[in-house]
Amino acid sequence: MTLIEVTTPAHTPSDGAVVLRESRVRTVLGHVVLGGLGLLCIVPVYWLYATSLRAPEDIYSLRPFPWPLSVASYAEARDTVDLPQLLLNTFVMAALIALGQLVTGLLAGYAFAAWRFRLQNTLYLVFVATWLVPFQVTMVPNYALLNQLGTLNTITGVVIPNLCSALAVIMLRSHLRSIPHELLEAARMDGRGAWSTLWTVVVPNLWPALAALGVLLFINAWNEYFWPALVLQRTNNVLQLALHSFIGPEGTQWGPLMATAGLACLPVLLLYLILQRRIVDGFVRSGLK
Amino acid sequence: MSRIQIEGLTRRFGSGNHAVNAVDGISLDVADGEFLVLLGPSGCGKSTLLRMIAGLTPPTGGRILLDGRDITAAEPRERNLAMVFQSYALYPHLTVAKNIGFPLRTRRRKDVDAKVTEVAKALGLEQLLDRRPRALSGGQRQRVALGRALVRDPGAFLLDEPLSNLDATLRTATRAELTDLHRRLRSTFVYVTHDQIEAMTMATRIAVLNGGRLEQVGTPEEVYDAPASTFVAGFIGSPAIGLLPAEVRGADGELRAVGDGVDMPLGPGHDASGREVLVGARPEHLRIGTGAVGPEWRGTVRLVENLGGEEVAHVTVGGGRVALRGPRPLGLAVGDAVRLTCDPDRIHLFCATSGRRLVRTPEPRRAAVAV
Repeated sequence: MTLIEVTTPAHTPSDGAVVLRESRVRTVLGHVVLGGLGLLCIVPVYWLYATSLRAPEDIYSLRPFPWPLSVASYAEARDTVDLPQLLLNTFVMAALIALGQLVTGLLAGYAFAAWRFRLQNTLYLVFVATWLVPFQVTMVPNYALLNQLGTLNTITGVVIPNLCSALAVIMLRSHLRSIPHELLEAARMDGRGAWSTLWTVVVPNLWPALAALGVLLFINAWNEYFWPALVLQRTNNVLQLALHSFIGPEGTQWGPLMATAGLACLPVLLLYLILQRRIVDGFVRSGLK
Repeated sequence: MSRIQIEGLTRRFGSGNHAVNAVDGISLDVADGEFLVLLGPSGCGKSTLLRMIAGLTPPTGGRILLDGRDITAAEPRERNLAMVFQSYALYPHLTVAKNIGFPLRTRRRKDVDAKVTEVAKALGLEQLLDRRPRALSGGQRQRVALGRALVRDPGAFLLDEPLSNLDATLRTATRAELTDLHRRLRSTFVYVTHDQIEAMTMATRIAVLNGGRLEQVGTPEEVYDAPASTFVAGFIGSPAIGLLPAEVRGADGELRAVGDGVDMPLGPGHDASGREVLVGARPEHLRIGTGAVGPEWRGTVRLVENLGGEEVAHVTVGGGRVALRGPRPLGLAVGDAVRLTCDPDRIHLFCATSGRRLVRTPEPRRAAVAV
């Protein structure tokens, strides 16, 4: 008797080389296109900082690299406006608005996503509809209210009417809806109430979304010009209004203007760099799986 | 240890003409330490019933009593019940240790670490305590979910299809572990599944649900050997029991069920003559007939399936089908004409209109009585 080992069925390798080549061409092409688009986005920002670092006599130079480097524009900006105070004011304003909108958005989104109540959809549509109301419609009533409250020409006056954002509610509701309902029910079974579940289960799982939205709201608030200009008529309390100081009837002082604008962009850029991964995660994923 | 009494529990969804009773007036008494399995197809209301016991879904009517205390309107945290969800519902941001200790931290217990270690040891999770759920396999997640329920020493465990996400091998092993756990804890378990094997292997009693109503409650043996309705007979057992229409006819004081391809003696009797019935036998109780007496099905083999150790032959009898299961080879081929028979005691008889089981009473004058 002879013993013959049972063999496994024959395996025919596919022609992987052709597939690999095609995929490499596609990857290179994709990188070239995306690189071009990236360059298109970066150039204006680069030019802003390059101009701010040119010597005053080279301010209109088209040389791509500013040389010799000069901080004269920053010094002039510092002498013209109170940069540290403006940065602080703008940061406080943007942070308070972003935080307020995050908290109200979180509470409203939680209510809409985790609970069932009468007129839920109607109420949500009303929330969404407020997003469609143009700023000009609410501008005058808000201004009148601030006048009565005596908060005109203060940062508080800029912040209070912006504490709620329909965008925050919509986005957080959408993220919250993607959290498995069983997770909230498990917390209920484990003895948690709605409030405790929100802070111990929902928020920790919503960090990427909260970070992404927080940055978005912060940038929106940071870039806000019209409303602060209306409320802070007698003071240039925020950076965006201070930029106007360099635009006068005699012409525009490009150096200090670019230096101040560069400083205005810096916190947002830093914030994005630090939270980059969470922001991408927050926008790519709609929540938990 | 808890006794759960359910009295006329109803849950209605929707309103007006679109209202649907997901659970329709169910009454059930789950004894202390019992392993009750709620078994039924998707949409039969078993999960809704479990969620009402847990307090996650409010009932539309009826009462739930836990050790005699009315908990119908109580919050889940006031019920002293633990639940294991189908998806396990582990907190993704917490480690295994923190997931297990979560219910204890809610109650501000001081012995959290000791209890977590004890439960982790019992479930073989000591090496995984620092991992997060995403770094665990399905079986490990399932054990963590079980650990989170165990750590509280609850009055009763509610389990909603906890094995449905596991592969076949792991499911078999976990079934045995759950049975062993129930034996050790002697706690009340209410377990929802649509898997008859899980129900048969783990339950001390099975409650079969259909369309929001209870079809039958009984031990696994009772439910399998004496199904109370055609639904239970068809739902439990694989391949399903083949039920064929027949008419009860009497001659010389003897009753027979006669139909297209079906002829079987039912014993002495008179008053059931002319009654429309459904007759059937479990596939493993059927055998290829040789003798001329006894119950018989005559048909043609339509399909023979090889299950490894066994074969299943699907036989067309009249307008219906029956299945025959036996050791391989059965010796049948597609197209063969076959005569099947079985022990008369293994025949199941159901009313053709109500679908309820008919039992043959020993009195010669009362041939058939509906259950």
